[in-house]
Amino acid sequence: MVTDSRQKPEKRRGANRGRSPASNQARSYLDHHRKVAKDSAQRLWRSPVASMMTWMVMGVALALPVALLLLLGSLQGVSAGWENSARITAYLSLDVPVEQARELASEIDGDGRVLSVEMVDRDQALAEFRVSSGLDDALDFLDDNPLPHTLLVTPEDSARSADGVQALVTFMEGMDAVERVQVDLGWLQRLNAITDILARAVWALALLLGAAVILVIGNTVRLSIENRRDEILVAKLVGGTDAFVRRPFLYTGAWFGLGGGVVAWVLIQVSLWWLNGPIERLASLYQSEFVIHGPGFDGALALIITAMVLGWLGAWVAVKRHLDDIEPGDIAGG
Amino acid sequence: MIEFRQVTKRYDSDHTALRQVNFHLDRGELAFLTGHSGAGKSTLLKLIMVMERPTAGEVIVGGQKLNSLPRRQIPYIRRHIGVVFQNHQLLFDRTVFDNVAMPLEVMGASPDDIGRRVRAALDKVGLLNKEKMNPMQLSGGEQQRVGIARAVVNKPPVLLADEPTGNLDPELSADIMHLFTEFSQVGVTVLIATHDIALIDQMNKRRLTLDHGRMIVGADAPLTGGVSGY
Repeated sequence: MVTDSRQKPEKRRGANRGRSPASNQARSYLDHHRKVAKDSAQRLWRSPVASMMTWMVMGVALALPVALLLLLGSLQGVSAGWENSARITAYLSLDVPVEQARELASEIDGDGRVLSVEMVDRDQALAEFRVSSGLDDALDFLDDNPLPHTLLVTPEDSARSADGVQALVTFMEGMDAVERVQVDLGWLQRLNAITDILARAVWALALLLGAAVILVIGNTVRLSIENRRDEILVAKLVGGTDAFVRRPFLYTGAWFGLGGGVVAWVLIQVSLWWLNGPIERLASLYQSEFVIHGPGFDGALALIITAMVLGWLGAWVAVKRHLDDIEPGDIAGG
Repeated sequence: MIEFRQVTKRYDSDHTALRQVNFHLDRGELAFLTGHSGAGKSTLLKLIMVMERPTAGEVIVGGQKLNSLPRRQIPYIRRHIGVVFQNHQLLFDRTVFDNVAMPLEVMGASPDDIGRRVRAALDKVGLLNKEKMNPMQLSGGEQQRVGIARAVVNKPPVLLADEPTGNLDPELSADIMHLFTEFSQVGVTVLIATHDIALIDQMNKRRLTLDHGRMIVGADAPLTGGVSGY
């Protein structure tokens, strides 16, 4: 009866169907969701060309930032690997004798932050230099050995952060016998700085393209709202709630997202397969083991879920904008 | 069941569709709403359906004041009001069965329940054997009866009809009026907007007549000097 219309709809639904238990209602609610989901998927299948085009647009827009993120992740992997092998080189003053250098080496070795110290004494260093540089003859002209004793310090794992290494450097620079301390991390820091900038640029691009995806889906769903205008009018006339009227379009958006996510994944896999040969060759020229890692199962799942959420959001925007405009007010004529 | 108290509906400052309309329909009552075109018949029906809100006065359906009804409650009111349109408003992208099932689907009825009640409604209008057809394959009279089946499938206490016989020949019109009479006999309040005067005369039922937004016949307290219709 109309009198009890302020009750929650669920309660009244139950009463209308003759006191069916709550589980029945839950089941018919789920049945309805399943039916709407299936129906919206079938609608997409029925216009395969149009759906495919939307999926492709979404796929391209998603694949681009994801591919860049993968590249970025791999680059960061490279620099992380180098940071692990960071070694500190301490050059001692020229007038430091071998014995003092040994003592210093064992003193540094005793520090908790240091894993090992290797000492290269000046004669050994000159011999190595002679062999590796090919300046054999030129070196004969020198009166003295110009090279100092050198300590090669490998930090403990715990001290291998940028701060930890810096602290060690400061510690050793404070020693009298140490002339100069060098950490060859300059290029690494530059690479890190570049990847930081790239990361921000990629995220900005991802945000923009995500917004573009939402707008594309919003526009597509708007068209499908227009196409189903009569159905929406009738549903509203016979007492369909806003949620009921919205539901098929939200599912449509999610299905667009699913297709777009799958297309994006395929595009990424194909490009990786196509690029991996040349990248391996280039990396081997640099004696690096650099490879671009694919998204993997988790990544693919995250990609597809993100795409579905974006599609759903796009549909939601369209539904919010356009569904309220369709009111059965003018259906009954003058 | 339906009550109008001093209802005025003004669209713009210069167009007043209804002026201080008073009337009252009881449970199980069948009444005709007549008047020239533009007299305010559709506006009156829209106010009952909450497609429009009155500018002044009160519309009460089933004891519920519709003026203050929040927007999100509107669907639940509409589930208690069956509506039949002149142009049927059937959907041609689905079968007769699915058309009639819509009011039950929006309520979240179970498939078993839907099947049973849709067939009962189609049986009532004599179209049980056409449930799998597309409404487009049906004649005008049959389409109108599908519309009626959809309007009554969830057994609403109120049934509104806007020119339900507008496109039909007299014989079919009589059939459909007979259906409406049957519904009113089981307690449904039926209000039929029409200007098919011959039909109304034949039926000998209560008549509400609008003229330029005023109810000149059938009102509770006649505001103009009109003659009471019953």
